[in-house]
Amino acid sequence: MLLNLDRMGPGRYVLYAISILTALFLLLPVVFIALLSFGSSQWLQFPPPGWTLKWYQAILDDPRWLASIWTSLKVGCCVMVLSVLIGLPAAFALVRGRFPGRTALHAFFISPMIVPVIILAIALYAFVLKFGLNGTFIAFVAAHLIIALPFSVICIVNSLEAFDQSTEKAAIVCGATKMEAILRVTLPAIRLGIISAALFSFLASWDEVVLGIFMASPDLQTLPVKMWTTLRQDLSPVIASVSTLLIFLTIAVMLIAAFLRRRFAR
Amino acid sequence: MTERTMPLVNIRNLVKRFAAVTAVDDVSLQVGEGEFLTFLGSSGSGKTTTLFIVAGFDDPSSGEVEIDGRSVLSVPPNERNIGMVFQRYTLFPNMTVAQNVGFPLLVRRRPKAEIDKAVKDMLELVQLGAYAKRRPSELSGGQQQRVALARALVYKPRILLMDEPLAALDKRLREDIQLEIRRIHRELGVTILYVTHDQEEALRMSDRIAVFSHGKIVQIGNGADLYERPADAFVAGFIGNSNFLQGTVVAKHADQVAVRLADGTTIHGNSPAALPADSRVKLMIRPERLILSATSNPVEQGCDQSIDVTLHDTTYLGDILQHDVVTAWRQDLTIRSTQRIAQPARGETLKLHFSSSDVMIFADERRASA
Repeated sequence: MLLNLDRMGPGRYVLYAISILTALFLLLPVVFIALLSFGSSQWLQFPPPGWTLKWYQAILDDPRWLASIWTSLKVGCCVMVLSVLIGLPAAFALVRGRFPGRTALHAFFISPMIVPVIILAIALYAFVLKFGLNGTFIAFVAAHLIIALPFSVICIVNSLEAFDQSTEKAAIVCGATKMEAILRVTLPAIRLGIISAALFSFLASWDEVVLGIFMASPDLQTLPVKMWTTLRQDLSPVIASVSTLLIFLTIAVMLIAAFLRRRFAR
Repeated sequence: MTERTMPLVNIRNLVKRFAAVTAVDDVSLQVGEGEFLTFLGSSGSGKTTTLFIVAGFDDPSSGEVEIDGRSVLSVPPNERNIGMVFQRYTLFPNMTVAQNVGFPLLVRRRPKAEIDKAVKDMLELVQLGAYAKRRPSELSGGQQQRVALARALVYKPRILLMDEPLAALDKRLREDIQLEIRRIHRELGVTILYVTHDQEEALRMSDRIAVFSHGKIVQIGNGADLYERPADAFVAGFIGNSNFLQGTVVAKHADQVAVRLADGTTIHGNSPAALPADSRVKLMIRPERLILSATSNPVEQGCDQSIDVTLHDTTYLGDILQHDVVTAWRQDLTIRSTQRIAQPARGETLKLHFSSSDVMIFADERRASA
């Protein structure tokens, strides 16, 4: 270790302080919103005058909130599946293919991460409008797929690059067909990358708001879009509790990812 | 090597061109049933490419590969029924050792009882019976390669290809596994094509060695052939230790060639090829065939040639002594001897005796790198 805590002397307390302040800076807004969601004040008073679960009750009582959560889950799952189904063959082509323009194609697959989302949103809106698809489930999935695909491609490309192709060749020389070798050896070997691709794709869709606003209709809204429209009308503690739910679901997904990673890394 | 009526593997005029280079350049080779044949060469010499063409991973630009008298070029690698062990660790990480070894039989749709029995037998053969339930990541490199060997042999292929399987292992372990591969070769009688860049490994294991250089086989023969009768200066330098001297041909009688060295001394030696008078040549003498002595008469040492040298350094290497000497025209030579002669002093001028039958003379031409 370059930095040894024991040898730093009193300097280490400075280090502790900086670390704690940084953590607080990152966490405070999240903790703040979570606390407010349990507060009894209608006006988001802090510190809360009392504690209550009524704002969570309000979500459960409002079918529009539940509908938007359901929409978000459906869109997220569709995006997750499609993103892996498209990202997997794309990654094979990008890693194993020997064709002119391969690096350019790789850059193209990553480009939705670089193009400002608002530009994507306007372009997509015009496009979707032309085909009369605005406000449809398909448009939602297509829009979020564009955002999710770079995550999927990056995750799978990385794990495929780390996988030694000699192993697949060994399976073939053992008598497996190319397809058998990929299904029984290569895919299990890169499953960590595939799982990461799926989770990141889901999360990319789950917390996406800009494209969502453009794709949404009054009948079809994802959770972040519903939050945005609600927020524009009035500032209710319900928003805080929805936010908290959103955060917990994201944490849950990350925990699943960490758990799977640890299980499969062995 | 006795010629067989029908070689198991017959490689004819094999050529493989990549964009700018000819990796394999007109290679022809016959491998007998049960033979252990090694492709020896430095990296880029075409040995691995030749092996990969036999395995079916590369298609040749031209030429033919026959197994049992039938062309296999149109047969995909998974149907060639050849075993292969790779340079890198290629065990399937998601399977146990037993599942790895059973994989070839699983894809051949063999019944489970038969697979279990075969896996058990193979793991016994490579002495890893106790490791059946382990994951590859829990094994050492040597163990992984032994499992890979078991996996390559479990379906009883007639031909086993090995592409530098021990390159990643340390020296001690390498020697252990070399012996184990030899033993398995004897027990199973499988034909082995083995690729290595390590001449010691090639000598230790093979029935015959094919020396590759720049895509061609420069010489093929058993260890003694290559060491005692190298075809050219490249093979002489590649196999074993060697001393080279430059000279010019002055006369030739049958196999015997007289060569004039830089200081005018004339040396006699043997040449595998015809050499025109006045041509530039290289003389090669093995370090263990040189005798360093204070006496000037070579006959006392059973030799018939000698030159003057100055002792530069003596190194004690346990089983042998290594003397580094310099000739009058500043050419370094190495002598390896088991004799515990009276330690000559550094800087002393001595006689170097040798026998003309131990002097090999080759044309001095830079091998064209094409």
